[in-house]
Amino acid sequence: MRTYAIILALGIGAHASAGDAQALADSAAAAYARGEHRAALALYDSLNADRTSAALLFNIGNCHFKLNDVPHAILYYERALLLSPGADDIQANLDLARSRVVDRMNELPAFSLGGGVDRFLAGADNDQWARRSLWAMAVLCALAAAWRMARHGSVRHTLLGACVLAFLVLATSVALAYRRNAELDTRVQAIVMSPRVEVRSEPRRQATTLFILHEGSKVSVLQQEGDWTEVRLTNGGVGWMPPASLVRI
Amino acid sequence: MTMRSATHTLLLLLALFVSARTVAQEIAFTASVDRTTFAVGENIKLVLTLTNARGALTEPDLGGLVVVQGPFESSAFNFINGRSTSTISRTYLLTATRPGDYTIGAAKAQVGGGLITTEPIRVHVEKGAAAAGGGQAQSQQQQKDRDLFAVISLTRNKCRVGEQLVATYTLYCRYNAIELVGYELPKLTGFWAEEIDMGELQWEPGLQTINGLQYRVAIIKKQLLFPQRPGKLHIDPATFTCIVNRSFFSRGAELKIRSNAVDLEVQDLPVNKPADLCGAVGDLRMEVTTGPTTVKANEALDIKVRFSGRANLKLIDDPKPAFPSDFETYEPKVSDKITVNTGGMSGSREFQYLVIPRHAGEYSLPPITVSYFDPEKGAYQQLSSGELVFTVLPGEGGATATISRPDPTDVQQLDRDIRYIRTGDLGLRPMGSRLFGSWPYVAGMTAPFALLLLFLFWRRRHDAEHADVAAMRRKGADKVARQRLKAAAEALARGERDGFYTALAQALNGYLADRYALAPGEVTARVARERLVPHGDAAGKYAALMEACELARFAPVEDRPRQQVYDEAVELIARIENNARA
Repeated sequence: MRTYAIILALGIGAHASAGDAQALADSAAAAYARGEHRAALALYDSLNADRTSAALLFNIGNCHFKLNDVPHAILYYERALLLSPGADDIQANLDLARSRVVDRMNELPAFSLGGGVDRFLAGADNDQWARRSLWAMAVLCALAAAWRMARHGSVRHTLLGACVLAFLVLATSVALAYRRNAELDTRVQAIVMSPRVEVRSEPRRQATTLFILHEGSKVSVLQQEGDWTEVRLTNGGVGWMPPASLVRI
Repeated sequence: MTMRSATHTLLLLLALFVSARTVAQEIAFTASVDRTTFAVGENIKLVLTLTNARGALTEPDLGGLVVVQGPFESSAFNFINGRSTSTISRTYLLTATRPGDYTIGAAKAQVGGGLITTEPIRVHVEKGAAAAGGGQAQSQQQQKDRDLFAVISLTRNKCRVGEQLVATYTLYCRYNAIELVGYELPKLTGFWAEEIDMGELQWEPGLQTINGLQYRVAIIKKQLLFPQRPGKLHIDPATFTCIVNRSFFSRGAELKIRSNAVDLEVQDLPVNKPADLCGAVGDLRMEVTTGPTTVKANEALDIKVRFSGRANLKLIDDPKPAFPSDFETYEPKVSDKITVNTGGMSGSREFQYLVIPRHAGEYSLPPITVSYFDPEKGAYQQLSSGELVFTVLPGEGGATATISRPDPTDVQQLDRDIRYIRTGDLGLRPMGSRLFGSWPYVAGMTAPFALLLLFLFWRRRHDAEHADVAAMRRKGADKVARQRLKAAAEALARGERDGFYTALAQALNGYLADRYALAPGEVTARVARERLVPHGDAAGKYAALMEACELARFAPVEDRPRQQVYDEAVELIARIENNARA
C-alpha cells in the first residue's frame, strides 16, 4: 500500500487535475491517519509541486513533524502561516515545533495587533483583499451612478455619503492587497536547516564566530555577498553565514 | 592449594620415621593416550599406569596401530600429604599408517590373585599431516614452564553484546608440592563481570594429560562475563604466584607465571532494535500475575511481573506498565532470585506493583511488552502479556468514602502533540497564482469605472436634450399638426378650393376623434367646444374653424384667405397637442 501510494505520487502527482488532486489529498490523509507519515508526505509533496494552500502546507508540516524533522516542519508551518496569517492551529503546531528547537531566542517584540487583527489585515487568503477591492470598485461606481440619477436632496445626500464610504473601503482594500502582494514577493525570512551553523562577524571563513545556530532557528535575510548571506537573528543579532544552510520561507 | 606448613612438616616427619608403613592404598590401573585424534605419520603416547600394586602387565591389542618406540618402563614412589603412592608405568609410542578409527583394546594386569583391566580407547586417525589440537598448541606456546602453567579459557570466542560466557582460570601443575600464594586477575574492560563462587579451592580429582604429560589441574577462578560493547575485546594474562617444592628441607622456589591472553570477538546486536528492548540477552520468559481483578475503588490492586530464564537478569529494568493516569501508583518492589554459577546467570526477577484505582469503572491495561535478544535464534524476541482488564466497583458508601474521595482536580495535560492535519478540501490553488496585479484584476477595476464614465456621458447628453422640455413638446405637437394637415397643405398648394376645405374638415374631425377616442360620426362643432374646454379659447376657435370649413364646402363663401385658415388650424392643433402632452 505504501509503495503503491508513493508510485501514485510520483507517477501522476506532477500533472494531476483538480479531481486527481483531491483524490491524492484524500489518500494522503488516509495514509497519515494510518500513521504512514512518510507515504503521506510523499503524496502531499507531489501535490505541492504545482499547487499550494495554507492547509496543504500545514499538512506537510505535520508530516515532517511526525517524522521528527523539526526544521522542515517549522519551515512549512511558517509558509502556511504566510498564506493564512493568524490561523489558530498552524500557530499552535508552530509553537510546539519551536519548543523542540535547540536555540531559545528572546524574540524582539514584533508589531502585531493580535491574531484576529493580523488575520483581518492579511485576509483569509492571498487574494481576499484584491477581491474586496474589486467589489468596492463595483459598488462605488454603482453608487456614483445612482447619485447622478437621484433628484431629491435627501437621497442624494445619503448616496454621496455611501460613495465616500465605498471610496474609503476601496482605498483600504487596494492598500492592503498591495501590502499582501509585497509581503509574498519579498520572502526575507528563512529557517536554518543545518544541524549547526556558525554565524560570523564578516563574510570570511576566518572571521570571528559570533553565534552558533542550530536547525530550526528563524532568521531574516538582509543581503547576499558572494557565498555569504547576512542575516538578522530574531533577538536582533546580525552576522554572516553560508546560504546553503538556509531555506527561505 | 593451601597447605599448612605445620601439618605438612609433621606428616613428613611421620612418614620418614615409619617408612615401612603404608597408608591406605588404592589400587588403580589406567590406560591413557595423549590425544585421541591425530594424523597419519604422527605419534601418540599410550601410557599404562598401575598404581599401588605390582603385577604382570599384558600388552593390549593395539587394533592396527604400530608401535614406534617402547615400551619404556618406569616406576615411581611418591609420598604426598602423608600418602604414599607407587606407580609403575609402561609407555608406548604409537603411530598409524592409514586414516580411520582404531580401538586400543583393554590392557590386563595380574595383581595378586585378580585381574584388572583398563577401558578400551578409541582413537581417530586423520588423513595427511594436519595438525590437531591447535588450541592446546597455542597454550603450549604461552607456557614457559612445562611443569607449571595457567590458562584462561572462555566458553566461546565469539558472542553477541550482552550474551553471557564463562571465563575459567585454570592452573596446570606437575610439581608435587605447590602452594598458591597469590594471583592477580586481569582488568576486564568492556565487560560486566560476575564472580562465580567456587567454594574452597581444590585440585581436580583426576590427572589430565597434555602433550603426553600428566598434570594436576586446579580451577582457580570462574567469572561470568557479559561483553558490553561490540568489537574485539582483549583479556590480558592473569598472573599467579606459586611456591613449589617447599618441604621440610627446602624453602622451595617462588614462581611467577602468566597465563595466556584471550581475544573475544563481540558482535553488536542487530540494528532494528525494538523500542521496548531490555538489556537482557539470552533466554527469557515473562509471567504476569494479578491478584483479584475486581476490586472496589480505593482498594489496592496487586500486579506481579516476573522475568525468569538464563540471561543477565540484573539488567532488566521496570517494564513500566501503562497504568491509567488516575491510578495511584507506587515504585515497584523488586525481588531477585538470581543464581550465578558455572552454567551462567539464571533465576528470576520479580516486579511487584501496587496500584490504587481511585474511580470506579472498567479499565484495560495495554499489554506489557518487553523485548530481548535471543542469540540462539539470532533475533529479537518480544514477550507480551495479554491485555489486563480490571473492574473497579464503586467504593464503600457513607462517610469514609466521602472523606477519602480526592478533591476535584484540573484536567491534566498528559502530553503535547501537534494538531491533526486538515482533511477534505484543501483549497488548492495553482502555485504562484495571485489576483492582485493580474489582468483580470486590472480589467475588473477598470470595467466599472469605464461603465460609470459611459453612463455619465450618456446622461449628460440626455440632460442637454431635455433641458427645454416645452420646446421639445411644442416641436412634437407642431409635427403632429403638420402631419394631420398634410392633405390640406397639398390642396392649398394646388389651389383647389373644395379639396382644401374637405381635407381641412377631415383633419380637424379626425384629430379630435383620435385625441378623445370618438367615433367619426360623433364629432361636431358642439362636441369640440365641450371637449376642448381645458384648452381655453382654443375650444371656441377650433369649433369656429370647423363651422367655417363646413360653410365653405357647401357655399362659395370665403371671409379669409385660405393660407390664413390653414395656419390657424396648424396653430390650434399644435396648441392642443402641446397642452395634452404637458
